[in-house]
Amino acid sequence: MRQSQSLRFAVLGVVAFHPTGVHGYVLKRQCDRILGHFWQLNFPEVYRVLNWLAAEGWIEAVGTEPVASRKRYCITAEGRENLSSFLLEPALDVPRPFRQELAVKLLFAVEERTPELLRVINRQRDTYVDQLHLLATQRRRLQRLPVDPFLANLLIDGVEVVVRAEIAWLENVCQKLTERFGASTA
Amino acid sequence: MIELHHVTKVFGQEATAVRAVNDLSFTCPRGGFWAIMGPSGSGKSTVLHLIAGLTAPTSGSILVEGTDVATMSQAAAAALRRRSIGYVMQAASLLPFLTVEQNVSVPLMLAGVPARARGERVARALERANISHRSAHRPSHLSGGEQQRVAIARAIVMEPPIILADEPTGNLDQDGGHAVMDLIQDLNEDLGVTVLMVTHDPVFAACAQRVMRVVDGALEHDHDFARLRSPRDHATRG
Repeated sequence: MRQSQSLRFAVLGVVAFHPTGVHGYVLKRQCDRILGHFWQLNFPEVYRVLNWLAAEGWIEAVGTEPVASRKRYCITAEGRENLSSFLLEPALDVPRPFRQELAVKLLFAVEERTPELLRVINRQRDTYVDQLHLLATQRRRLQRLPVDPFLANLLIDGVEVVVRAEIAWLENVCQKLTERFGASTA
Repeated sequence: MIELHHVTKVFGQEATAVRAVNDLSFTCPRGGFWAIMGPSGSGKSTVLHLIAGLTAPTSGSILVEGTDVATMSQAAAAALRRRSIGYVMQAASLLPFLTVEQNVSVPLMLAGVPARARGERVARALERANISHRSAHRPSHLSGGEQQRVAIARAIVMEPPIILADEPTGNLDQDGGHAVMDLIQDLNEDLGVTVLMVTHDPVFAACAQRVMRVVDGALEHDHDFARLRSPRDHATRG
């Protein structure tokens, strides 16, 4: 629920970048570029959020196009006020319980299963490295957009710090397991 | 293109022998951008030294742009480095008594490029490294990130097809590191320069197209990001 509220404000924020209005499909493309790593949105989702924002009076259609997909949307004064309040609210996110599943596997690790466990850890590390590559690609794309990437880069910085720490922890676990149970287990 | 075929490098002899590189093989294609990661002492930097002809392998062959570096004389290896390889290290290693412009022109002077032709090439390299505005400054007046950009300008002033980068972001903060990585990616994507980069930082390694993890001198893991790229990315990268 909280995420869907954040998503509404994220889309509202992207609409706010366009004082003269923005078409839904342009908005979708910008959402992909700016929010892509945090939220993957398809067209129906974008239009669902736009309809919700319009029903609340936070955005309005401008121009005379009757077809929903061709309408241009502008943020209203009320929408701007709500966006502003949201930005100043304290975030309710709590640290997510990272590593939970892997932690359980570690707790029940036994010497003879160490090679398999190391493979599980390496797969986990690969997943994080993939995530870093997608973040790096996102960062490069943002540079080519007509919007200032400064704030989006701050978000990417935050994810990178967390992922880097996770990788460091996994490597530490690998190294210590190998030290304890011998190189032949690696 | 850089090719390593069953390359082994042993330092020392008998009881004190250290196998820094152990039967390592890979082929980094022309225009590729690959990263090498691994723990300290895993032989990452030695791999770059071998490719640059700074040290000879104990066994195996190393082809740089089709030329076998392993069997070259030191003079021939130095000529190959001047012609084909730009080397970027963790420390910028600029000459403190020269200006930025003069530092960048050093490789051209060593290669015997006439003074008249040097100016334009230095200006182009500085522009490419986004550091032209500092051309008259001495290195001590620059930030760490700026010094590294000058080092990169110096590495590309001979317009080499290959850049070997050994921990190019190692001395920089996060923002400085990202600026240097942007520059390296620009050189790779815009000019088609082949880049082989050693780094311990997974964030910067993930900017490459492929990450090789080296442990005890051997290839432990090869991570290719090609499967993550969309067809549009492939088309953009040409």
